[in-house]
Amino acid sequence: MSKVDKRKYTEEADYGFNLRTAREEAMRCLLCIDAPCSKGCPAGTDPGSFIRSIRFNNVKGAAETIRKNNVLGGSCARICPYDRLCEEECSRCGIDKPIRIGRLQRFAIEQEKAFKMKTLEAPKKKKPYKVACVGAGPASLACAAKLAQEGYQVTIYEAQDKAGGVLTYGIVPSRLPEYVVQQDIKTVKDLGVKFVFNTKVGRDVDLNELGFDAIFIGAGLWGTHLPNIPGTDKQGVWTAIDFLKKGRIEKESFKPGENVLVIGGGDVAVDCAVTAKLLGAKNVHIVYRRTIEEAPANMTEFKYALKLGIGITTNMAPSEVLGGKNVEGMKFKGRDGVSELKLKADAVVFAIGQKPEDMAAIAGVKVTEKGNIKAGKCGKTNLAKVFAAGDIVNGGKTAVEAVKEGKDAADSIIAYLKKKEGVK
Amino acid sequence: MAVKKDLSIEYLGVKCENPFFLSSSPVGGNYDMVSKAFETGWGGVFFKTIGIFVADECSPRFDQNNKAGVPWIGFKNMEQISDKPTEKNFEFIYKLKRDYPDKVVVSSVMGSSEEEWEELGKMSEQAGADMIECNFSCPQMTSHAMGSDVGTNLELVEKYSRAISNITKLPVIAKMTPNITVMEPAAIAAIKGGAKGISAINTVKSITSMDYENMTGMPVVNGVSSISGYSGAAVKPIGMRFIANLASCPDLAGVHLSGIGGIETWNDCLDYLLVGARNIQVTTAVMQYGYRIIEDMINGMAHFMNERGIRDISELIGIALPKLVPAEELNRDFKVIPKIDLKKCVGCGRCYVSCYDAAHQAIDWDDKKRRPAINDECVGCHLCLNVCPVKDCIMPGEIKWKEGRKPVDIKIKQHYV
Repeated sequence: MSKVDKRKYTEEADYGFNLRTAREEAMRCLLCIDAPCSKGCPAGTDPGSFIRSIRFNNVKGAAETIRKNNVLGGSCARICPYDRLCEEECSRCGIDKPIRIGRLQRFAIEQEKAFKMKTLEAPKKKKPYKVACVGAGPASLACAAKLAQEGYQVTIYEAQDKAGGVLTYGIVPSRLPEYVVQQDIKTVKDLGVKFVFNTKVGRDVDLNELGFDAIFIGAGLWGTHLPNIPGTDKQGVWTAIDFLKKGRIEKESFKPGENVLVIGGGDVAVDCAVTAKLLGAKNVHIVYRRTIEEAPANMTEFKYALKLGIGITTNMAPSEVLGGKNVEGMKFKGRDGVSELKLKADAVVFAIGQKPEDMAAIAGVKVTEKGNIKAGKCGKTNLAKVFAAGDIVNGGKTAVEAVKEGKDAADSIIAYLKKKEGVK
Repeated sequence: MAVKKDLSIEYLGVKCENPFFLSSSPVGGNYDMVSKAFETGWGGVFFKTIGIFVADECSPRFDQNNKAGVPWIGFKNMEQISDKPTEKNFEFIYKLKRDYPDKVVVSSVMGSSEEEWEELGKMSEQAGADMIECNFSCPQMTSHAMGSDVGTNLELVEKYSRAISNITKLPVIAKMTPNITVMEPAAIAAIKGGAKGISAINTVKSITSMDYENMTGMPVVNGVSSISGYSGAAVKPIGMRFIANLASCPDLAGVHLSGIGGIETWNDCLDYLLVGARNIQVTTAVMQYGYRIIEDMINGMAHFMNERGIRDISELIGIALPKLVPAEELNRDFKVIPKIDLKKCVGCGRCYVSCYDAAHQAIDWDDKKRRPAINDECVGCHLCLNVCPVKDCIMPGEIKWKEGRKPVDIKIKQHYV
């Protein structure tokens, strides 16, 4: 019999370091010149520097380095796909196994909280420019933090009643506890960034009327997405984002059903499966149309799902949702054209990617065929004062990449506003 | 453990089952402790120092310091000699000899006057001890008439050695303090006074870590601390140096030496034997790990002796001494250029950083391939070899002779662990 992990929905998936164990781990670091791990971080969090700080007993300096480079360092420490980013680059891989960079980052950010550190500061004297950010997810938060540190006045508009976007509503809390996201958001708030909640741009407010000097769109992908197969209108069919959100809001009182199927092969699919399992579903099964090797999810997440007793079936594409008014099962067709599969289910969650909302209508920007905002590398759109980054531009990547793009867009906005100042 | 080997050795005329003894310290302070140690395999004990003076101890009294998370690099203690009544301690020694006649019990003693030394000598002999060790070296005594203050005073060392040697037929050993520039004069004084053996080293006077809550050293006793004895792995190089000095001193020829300081493994024991020790004493490692470390000392030493075809452990004593020469006698005509195995290299660049910042800028760094290359500036210092984290990646390579020097056959080290 395999030993399966049994946890509560909000129980943390993994343990952290203390000062002693963190220094033990940091001692394994080879302290590389021109550290490859630092090059492996899209957001430039610079693990090479912060691990060295921990190694030389300067934990506060480590926290400063992380925050300075990545304002969402707490959340990224929990959800980054290290095994294909910084840890894959770690030179120690040539000896045994990489330094546990994510866990060290988590430790440093926990120390920031323990010491009540104020790692970032905004100038007291503000610049006379106002910037609006649409959406309070990773891209917007990173962009806003950078602008605020340069003295710009930033307001974030968020359709939901909490900040964080996908961090708050789209990830299972055992992997990313709410307090970690809140610590990151507080860092942004403490820089003087204003948050306006329950306000959907384009529905509740027209930014063009509010006199902002620049607008950043980091709206994310919140359009629901179901495949074009029979039966998706039945009770018990979920989109991933609605399913995760319901879990985050209702926590243990949400009963997803006894037999839950999750369709998809990304981190979001795994999060849905984990959510269902932790909320008490007896049989949870991930079904993916391709192979594990082709799946975008992090191997660490697959392993975690397996450890919880979640099954994974590959090379099976959904063909029909079965049942009457309610979901009763699901049919799949094999990639080989021969195999078939029929599974019993009370709930089916489709985690097959999210869609953008109608950004052309909301912000008047040019969009791609898929509806993503067309933006250059540094977040410039077809409109001079409108910038965009994160999932809404790249079609759905990681939080750490959204941070990088949000930072880059902030640079573009600063350059744009400086140019404007010069013209004045 | 399978390999069995006779590790017995004679020390000052006393047959020892093996040369591995507990040193005089908290690890051998009563009957039950020593009994357990004997059962585990220790060859003998230097019983916790007994005085007429009974110690009154502070709390806490220990600290350990670490490097980058590795604990117990060194250990500091503020304990003095036994805090048990004098008679009680000799009773322990009596019972230990009664129950373990084949094990060696050394009575470690400390007096503050000739009369006290004589008294302690008599009582040791009556209790049945095999030898007596005079503690001239505890650095944290509350009385300055005792401990390392005596050990640095040659007259007192000789006088007290004589007082106790004259009263007993047991072999007397003098335990030396390292808190002295050279140890030979103190050892010679003890031998002159009648001592037959020398133990070294006792602990090194130290301040380990500072405490920022009370702005004092560790351990903190009611807001303050004291300078006191340092032991453990960090002091082993210092202990070995003193033993090598004593073993090479013509005036001490034939004097039996007991090595103490930072011994944890069979290698540490072997190292002390190679520089001239005939007996080995351990405390700090026992405090950290317990008596059981003796099992791997015995077994590891047996494996080494088998590997090298050594039948009697005493063959090992002092064999490295002729090869420890004064700096002026080293051949300085050549340099050993390291060679880097680029297949093993993981590209961390540590060799490059250290060579540039601390040596001779003799390594070029290819920042695209992330690989080092040794250039013509290399002086063969081997700093790179010492910082490289990969086993056998940087090794001794080509031997280059300095301009105008005559090449001869030379021996270099080939294997690193």
